[in-house]
Amino acid sequence: MGCAVSARLAINRLRDRVPLDGAAVDRFVARYGSPIVEGERATFLWRGEADEVRVRHRVVGLPDPLPLSPVQGTDLWAVTTVLPEGSRVEYQVEIRRGEAYEQFNDPLNPRLAHSPLGSSSVCASRGYQVPDWVAFDPEARPGSVIEDSIRSKALRREQPIHVYLPARFNRALRYPLLVVHDGTDYLGFAAMKTVLDNLIHRLDVDPLVAVFVPPGDRLREYANHAPHARFIARELVPLLTERLPLLDAPEARCLMGSSFGGIASLSTAVRYPGYFGSLLLQSASLVFTDIGFDHGGGPAFDPVVAFVNRYRARPTAVVERIYQSCGVYEPLITPNRSMVGVFRQAGMQVRYAEARDGHNWENWRDRLGDGLSWLFPGPQKFLYE
Amino acid sequence: MTTILLGPQRFTTTAQAVLRSLSVDGPVAMVNAGWEEREVDDAELDGVLDHRGFNLRLYQRAVEVLAADRALRRAVLEHRACHAELRAFYGLRLQAAWDTVLAVRRRPSRLATDDVRDGAVRSAMQALRDVDDWYAYEVARIVEGTATSDVVRSSEALARHREEVAEAIAAASVVVLAGGHVGILMETLRLLDVSVPAEKPVIAWSAGAMALCDPVVLFHDFAPQGVTAPEVHDRGLGRLRGIVPLPHARRRLALDDRERMTVFAERFPAHHLLPLDDGTVLRFEATPDRPDARVEPPEGARFIGRDGTVETWGAR
Repeated sequence: MGCAVSARLAINRLRDRVPLDGAAVDRFVARYGSPIVEGERATFLWRGEADEVRVRHRVVGLPDPLPLSPVQGTDLWAVTTVLPEGSRVEYQVEIRRGEAYEQFNDPLNPRLAHSPLGSSSVCASRGYQVPDWVAFDPEARPGSVIEDSIRSKALRREQPIHVYLPARFNRALRYPLLVVHDGTDYLGFAAMKTVLDNLIHRLDVDPLVAVFVPPGDRLREYANHAPHARFIARELVPLLTERLPLLDAPEARCLMGSSFGGIASLSTAVRYPGYFGSLLLQSASLVFTDIGFDHGGGPAFDPVVAFVNRYRARPTAVVERIYQSCGVYEPLITPNRSMVGVFRQAGMQVRYAEARDGHNWENWRDRLGDGLSWLFPGPQKFLYE
Repeated sequence: MTTILLGPQRFTTTAQAVLRSLSVDGPVAMVNAGWEEREVDDAELDGVLDHRGFNLRLYQRAVEVLAADRALRRAVLEHRACHAELRAFYGLRLQAAWDTVLAVRRRPSRLATDDVRDGAVRSAMQALRDVDDWYAYEVARIVEGTATSDVVRSSEALARHREEVAEAIAAASVVVLAGGHVGILMETLRLLDVSVPAEKPVIAWSAGAMALCDPVVLFHDFAPQGVTAPEVHDRGLGRLRGIVPLPHARRRLALDDRERMTVFAERFPAHHLLPLDDGTVLRFEATPDRPDARVEPPEGARFIGRDGTVETWGAR
């Protein structure tokens, strides 16, 4: 959908066309699809009969919904908005016919992103590229993912897990451990097995063992929940250390998660300071209040806000290093930026990255290369073929 | 003592011609433990060596002996953990010291003369060397501790393999060390107590060349993360003292960054930093007077000079 930049936007050239008939719109839509990315502008299109057409997105800074206007004399609707270089936006189209609203993926855009909540259309601006370590590389030796479950006293349930063992896994060696919250989603929506295979194959990341842990009652267990932390630190990690050749040291243990999973990671580290060496926090829900009680996140955020407020009042170094990332188009950007200084002030080494992206799995996937290679630098320096 | 260091062999193969130039018959002992579990895939290497090669199988031997002797395995894992811990602390100290040298060098003096600044640069550089010295001392201590431990000395399985390797080397007319993972290569060389008699010709490239010298210095100016400064890793076999080989220098070093290269060269004042790029052949013939004497590069060898440029030995 991207195209060369000309002096005038394609949609404006269409508007000037005489006669502007159905055939001209057909040709236009067939040629450009939607959205049309021209320089730092993106034009969203929809075609059909409706009373209102809007683009729904969650980009902080742009109006949501973003209303489309009809192109006079046609059934084509369009809106042009700014989209800085390197941006990636997920959206859907919403139409109203009378009292009936309908929301769906953009039928003129084949590019989709998937998440546990369903799929969305994707608009990528000029300069955005899917990292090449995301796609399956036939030359990368595959690791293996083993399904297992463990009985958790803390959680009072059988907890399913997936354990990733790197290619050429060797019991004579010892590996660092990465604990991944929302593990099944990271495998399904962030291609994390492929990403690990590729990054390890490229020597960007040290061979590691990862355990992917799906939540039970996510909003409760991930919002600073003592049984969850106990499960991770006192049951899961010790059991894996017993079963697998893992490095038994804090710096070889990392907790990661996105959104509420970031809070689960941080709060577990706070409850067990010094037990983990690093955190990988992606768009963590680090919501807090400086005054009053209105945080705008709803009841699910109450325990999160209470936890973050307490931590901000007495910040302590609970790990050595934090890799923290956030999309600049998501509402969590402000609290994430604010917490960088708090973490550093507490004495932790922080690497912070922002992307022109939102609160979604592809953003989190795209940051894995930078984050994992910083936390677990690969053996490039050792290889001289 | 004939020792020949070559550039990487993947695209420009010089090992065959160099081996023939030695005019020695007989078997060639191959060390390619740096290839790890691909050690057994040595047919191409053997072909390059005119099918005279026999593989010392150091990696495979290490795997076998560690599987057979649990106490030894525990000791080796403990050694690795200890070395890794030391490296973690070294990395912190090294990076800070390296960054300090660069920062001090880049700050112009506000005085009419550079005396104060020059003193600061010298002192910062000495601090950087001190970090290397501390690490080298600690590595030597760890290595010595493991090598002389009862577990290592009493392992029958290890003793048997060591004996076999020593016999194989004694029977070889030439020893060849290929590249790969220099850490694994050093570990297996040490575990199996490999030593090559001075009179036996040796051909080595890439990680193999690094393992022959002393110290083993890791470098990669373009690695995505981690410690960016070149790192001392280990002692090396010390056959060529005073030489620091730099395989793939064009690809791995910011050779155009004269300041960085100057700091690299000044950091190792008693060593010659020799780039080993494709096609390089460096033949060392001199026998040092003493075992610990440092050798000079052969005429025509490229080296990184104190001014950060790549120069040719003997051209001045």
